[in-house]
Amino acid sequence: MSDRDKLMDFICRNFMVEEGEFLLDESLIDQGIIDSFGLLEISTFLKKELGVETAQEDMNRENFGSFEKILAYSSRKREAVYG
Amino acid sequence: MDRCSNCVLSTSFPGLELDENGVCNFCRDESIVTTEQKIIDESAVQVQQLIEGTKGKNEYDALVCYSGGKDSTYTLMAAVEKYGMKILSFTLDNGYISPKAFENINKVVETLGVDHFTFKPSKTVFNKMITTSATEPVYAKSSLRRISSGCNTCISIVNNLALKTALEKNIPFILAGFTLGQIPANSIIYRNNYPFFLDSRKRGLEILKTKAGNAVNNYLTISEELQKKTVEYPYVINLLCMESLTENQIIEAITPLGWERPGDVDGCSSNCRLNTFNNIIHQKKFGYSPYELELSHLIRKNQLTREEALEKLLDQPREIYESIGKELGYLDN
Repeated sequence: MSDRDKLMDFICRNFMVEEGEFLLDESLIDQGIIDSFGLLEISTFLKKELGVETAQEDMNRENFGSFEKILAYSSRKREAVYG
Repeated sequence: MDRCSNCVLSTSFPGLELDENGVCNFCRDESIVTTEQKIIDESAVQVQQLIEGTKGKNEYDALVCYSGGKDSTYTLMAAVEKYGMKILSFTLDNGYISPKAFENINKVVETLGVDHFTFKPSKTVFNKMITTSATEPVYAKSSLRRISSGCNTCISIVNNLALKTALEKNIPFILAGFTLGQIPANSIIYRNNYPFFLDSRKRGLEILKTKAGNAVNNYLTISEELQKKTVEYPYVINLLCMESLTENQIIEAITPLGWERPGDVDGCSSNCRLNTFNNIIHQKKFGYSPYELELSHLIRKNQLTREEALEKLLDQPREIYESIGKELGYLDN
């Protein structure tokens, strides 16, 4: 399963949405899908499933602002760690 | 009402699917319990290390959000007696705390010898915030699986006051009395990331402000000045999530402190009468109780029987709902 599929599966299962039901390039918070606990759950998912440790200063809209941004962030972090 | 035959989740609970035996998908998914245990074990090690590394370095080792209910009483006791921490505790007086719960609070803080303060927000503003929470879409749908909208507002005030106090007094840990089921397992310990958390609450905050005015900011935000001064935000720890205790064991442990169960609250609360109003509103709106997830979780962990859970869910005194509904102006007098 690709990282994209894993993240999509996690978000759909945990936050009661269907793929296609929300916009991938808009904030999950603004779309009313997640709250602050949701952010914690996503950062734990990144650590456990994708091996990406989220630094506190990285938890911002730039990195967690949307599905696409979360995916891009995890890809950048992995590249930085594993090359 | 149709429910899972093993736990107490209603068929109206989001994402619930019953099999031919009437058992829900949450009960069938064994990985929920095993994954959770792994997180609990890792959190316990992290908590122990963090506490040992900071104990005695500040005026207070931790701030305890103390509602006077059984879970936060146990948390306060564990912080003092098990972890040996120097504690400052506080209670949010929302105007609906049972008088018996206040007696409990006074007895417990005196017995444990901890410093304590009570904060009472403006009744006018608080009541408007609660009625707005009952009528408007203040929170994400997913968070309402675990908690009613009204309780979410009250807890948000507690969390914000805790953060403000911890930052002002340089307290490294905030201890809350949540149990698993009320919060996800990965929230047993986390560092408060205020700027992003505020961002996540922005939409709801705007709705509350529209109805209850800008005074809401006093209760749900911290000043920019305090944010600028902050180098590190405190950790939030839910100690009770790392214990495996039944309700009776918790009550047995806190009884020597003088704690007694209040008789004027519903079956799901041990301190607050507003809980009944919030529960009934939630049940009417969504078709399930906000306590079903937590109680079902306890059933799966053998910490509560299904019969005990059902008894709690059904014990929602109509007279409390009506008297509070009228006081809030939600129901006609």
